[in-house]
Amino acid sequence: MTSQFVIMQLFNGLILGSIYVLLSLGLSIIFGMLGIINFAHGAFYMLGAYVAYTLTAYVCPNFWFAFIFAPIIMAGFGAACEVFLLRRLYRLPPLYIMLFTFGLMMIIQDIIRMIFGSMGVPFGTPKSLMGAVNLGFMCYPKYRLFLIIITALSSLGVWLFLSRTRLGSIIRAGTDNSSMVDALGINISRIFTLVFGIGIGLAGLAGVLAAPIQNVSPLMGMDFLIDCFVVVVIGGMGSIAGSIIGGVIVGEIIASGIMIWPPIAHMLIYLFMAAFLLIRPRGLFGREAFHD
Amino acid sequence: MINDAMSKQKIILMVLAILLAIFLPFLAPYTALASEILIFALFAMAYDLVLGYAGMLSFGHAALFGLGAYSTGIILIRVYPSALFGLLTGVIISSLAAFLIGFLSIRRRGIYFTMLTLAFAQMFYFMAFKWTGLTGGDDGLQGVPRPSLGHLDLTSELTFYYFILFFFILSVVICFRVVNSPFGKTLQALRENKNRAMSIGYDVDRLKLIVFVISGFFSGLAGGLYALLLNFVPLGSLYWTTSGEVVVMTIVGGMGTLFGPILGALGIILLKDIISNFTESWSFIMGVLFVASVMGFRGGLIGIIRDKLKLDI
Amino acid sequence: MKKYNAFCRPAIVISLILSMSILIVSSAKAADPVKVSVLTDMSGPYAGITATNVEAAKMAIKDFGGKLLGQDILFVYRDHQCKPGLANQKAKELYEKQKVDVIFDCPNSAAALAVSKQALIHKRLFFSIGSGTTRTSGPDCNRYTFDWAYNDYMLATSVGLWAADNLGKRWYTITADYAWGHDLLKHFKHALETKGGKLLGNDMVAFGTADFSPYIINAMNAKPDVLVLLNSGKDGVNSTKQAIEFGLKKKTKIVHALLFIEGIKAVGPEVFADDYVTGAWYWKSKNPGSKEFVQQWRKKFNKPPNWMNAATYSCVTQYLKAVKRAASKDPKAVIKELEGHTFRDLLANPGYIRPEDHMQVGKAYILRAKRPEEIKEPWDYFQIMDVMPAEEVYMDPTKTGCKMGCF
Repeated sequence: MTSQFVIMQLFNGLILGSIYVLLSLGLSIIFGMLGIINFAHGAFYMLGAYVAYTLTAYVCPNFWFAFIFAPIIMAGFGAACEVFLLRRLYRLPPLYIMLFTFGLMMIIQDIIRMIFGSMGVPFGTPKSLMGAVNLGFMCYPKYRLFLIIITALSSLGVWLFLSRTRLGSIIRAGTDNSSMVDALGINISRIFTLVFGIGIGLAGLAGVLAAPIQNVSPLMGMDFLIDCFVVVVIGGMGSIAGSIIGGVIVGEIIASGIMIWPPIAHMLIYLFMAAFLLIRPRGLFGREAFHD
Repeated sequence: MINDAMSKQKIILMVLAILLAIFLPFLAPYTALASEILIFALFAMAYDLVLGYAGMLSFGHAALFGLGAYSTGIILIRVYPSALFGLLTGVIISSLAAFLIGFLSIRRRGIYFTMLTLAFAQMFYFMAFKWTGLTGGDDGLQGVPRPSLGHLDLTSELTFYYFILFFFILSVVICFRVVNSPFGKTLQALRENKNRAMSIGYDVDRLKLIVFVISGFFSGLAGGLYALLLNFVPLGSLYWTTSGEVVVMTIVGGMGTLFGPILGALGIILLKDIISNFTESWSFIMGVLFVASVMGFRGGLIGIIRDKLKLDI
Repeated sequence: MKKYNAFCRPAIVISLILSMSILIVSSAKAADPVKVSVLTDMSGPYAGITATNVEAAKMAIKDFGGKLLGQDILFVYRDHQCKPGLANQKAKELYEKQKVDVIFDCPNSAAALAVSKQALIHKRLFFSIGSGTTRTSGPDCNRYTFDWAYNDYMLATSVGLWAADNLGKRWYTITADYAWGHDLLKHFKHALETKGGKLLGNDMVAFGTADFSPYIINAMNAKPDVLVLLNSGKDGVNSTKQAIEFGLKKKTKIVHALLFIEGIKAVGPEVFADDYVTGAWYWKSKNPGSKEFVQQWRKKFNKPPNWMNAATYSCVTQYLKAVKRAASKDPKAVIKELEGHTFRDLLANPGYIRPEDHMQVGKAYILRAKRPEEIKEPWDYFQIMDVMPAEEVYMDPTKTGCKMGCF
């Protein structure tokens, strides 16, 4: 195992982490604000990829068109879900919302299977991003570098939005104490809708970005779902920095596991998750005593 | 007078339930399905102890079910071909596992507890996956025998159904007694208001652990019976989607009622079997039913029955 | 008020006579008709390939004439969603409640193993078609189970031997980390070493992994002539797409374990261009009855059949013919007619059912996936590069570990 090889694998671990980061960002924001674990997050990710496919196949065969509009459509869909479905469940214990998202996952996956079939649909890499770039220690696919850049930009964007804008500070306040924000006269339910929409929009973005390098099929989100829970636990629920660092860590754990002893790679992340939950449940960057 | 009327209702319902249980093999599409219904009814009832009565959302019960199934199966194949001995080993192992998982997980509350149970269950799954020599890996544990019990030939599906029914009724009675005992009442108290229960002096964590172990015991029993029913143990028994299935059955049936989950298991398994013979979109229908239960009929099937018939179960 | 009137008494008498006659007639009924069933994946991950096996079976029954032993052939099918526990239950339902004489198909190795045990318990026939496990014709064989069209050994050995001769002797493998993958790896390695090749390395990939980049990187590091992808479905697509991404396909040829025309259509021929795989049949085959079968299928589905469909058609047909030869549907008689039987049909020309392990053996086709510009006809995704004889690609029947017992 040469050092070049190790660097290659570790560098690639960053990319592995990118999809995790995008998905976990959305999951984390939703948990932070609404206190719910969205079991349907993987399904929304998959939906984002299918929306992208539908746009390129039937509306406009341009990747960038889908890249811009698919996340927007998904954000809108997420907002609609929140307004028409989730809202009815807020006064109930959080258990019900979690269960609802679980059922929603089953429904979305099966509807897509009924419409598009279970084998998957084609989605190619955009021509402008094909080929590889010589990084010195290896030739790396252009598209994956693009992925890292977009992930970094999105994370930065979300962080800036939450910490520098007025709306962002309202959201952060709502995360801490939603009834107080409500008492101050701000329409908290609109904030909830916005946050859920952003979270789902991020999942949709992850789906579009993943489509060229993965098989777009109804169950493509299932593989990521549990792993994203691990990221959010390690990083800390509700924390942006946590999702980013957590995503990278999980990506690197898998990359290292693969180098050292491949069969154990996946089990390692469950061990890490359990360890964190037992020792430091708020993860690396989460807040103390979150939800009981 | 009112008491008389209510207990009369209860007696009628009990009689109906017993008749249903006795004749289920003939009413269900096929006998093995009736057996499967009983097994999952037992599993769901065990799960309800933890979810409905102690208020903990566990996503790791597949581990307890699966461990019971694998232990029973391995004993029957490799150690001693006795159904009773196999089942006994199964429940001991699943109870031990429940103690271990519970001890570690109950330290945390809410979503963290759920995630911990999920993590532990997945670890067991991967261990079984890898340890091919012991478990058969993803080919499953093949060739679990169903030895006779004295004169009783258990290879007959019908006879085996009544074998399961015996354990099922026993388990229902025990769970019912547990839930209505002072211990059970304390559980409900802490589900309603944990802080108050603590301030009165109850050791909340210890109570939760006890319930978890009891639940593990009966989940393991269900698992062991499942291994005997199928004559093999599929690896999927340990996968988190099995936990998901029993959650669905408990919610749809009505959590916190013991009889609700039984009804839930009956309804879901029957529906799944009938629907899948007509359409491939049964997953969608299941999802819709589940979501409807969560959004609308939170009392589950039992709640609907209660309202419609104005009963007091 | 008198409830009786003039109608009652005669009505009672007539109904009594009617019911008595029905009882007498039904007790003197003829022998039960032959009942055929298919148990397959209709809504799970492989449904795109196997759900149509139901139609293939129906076509076989219709082409046979629809009647056997003087009565209509009955047919039912069940979906096992690729879940072994469900398959076990459905097999019980089929044998006990539906009283079928035979079950066909059952993809997924764990499911096939479970169903084959049920076949032995109920003493009825089971033909494993979709599942590739070598156990059903090996250590777990039994007299009531038959294996049709292919198994993992044949898949691996056929394209393995061919690739070692024609594509290169330095290989790298990426293996789906479960029983099927391990089985294939063992047989591919054996084929490679027989030809004096070298396995440079292998990566076990956990089931459900979507990102193969670390393994592709590993593979490229080793600079192999051939990359063998021991996975299927979604994993096959992902690993191939990502191999292209990293430029691996420029220097290395890819061999798949399983690849069907539906899979190529779903993601586009550019992805699989110039990849190699084994098939038990291809729709351009000139075997007897092939062309007619493809025509019929096209009329119904607007596309040609895949080789699992052809295998199901062949298997059902051969079963029905065996029943006819035995002049009885008694499993023991039919089994005796099948064992050692040679036949020629659209799937195998010839095909032979080995009595030692109940494996139906025939030739294997080495297929190359065409580049998009080479495709002149819709669905003509493969070119047949070579045909390998059965003796070369199936394990010696005395070495399979199968101890075929009695009934």
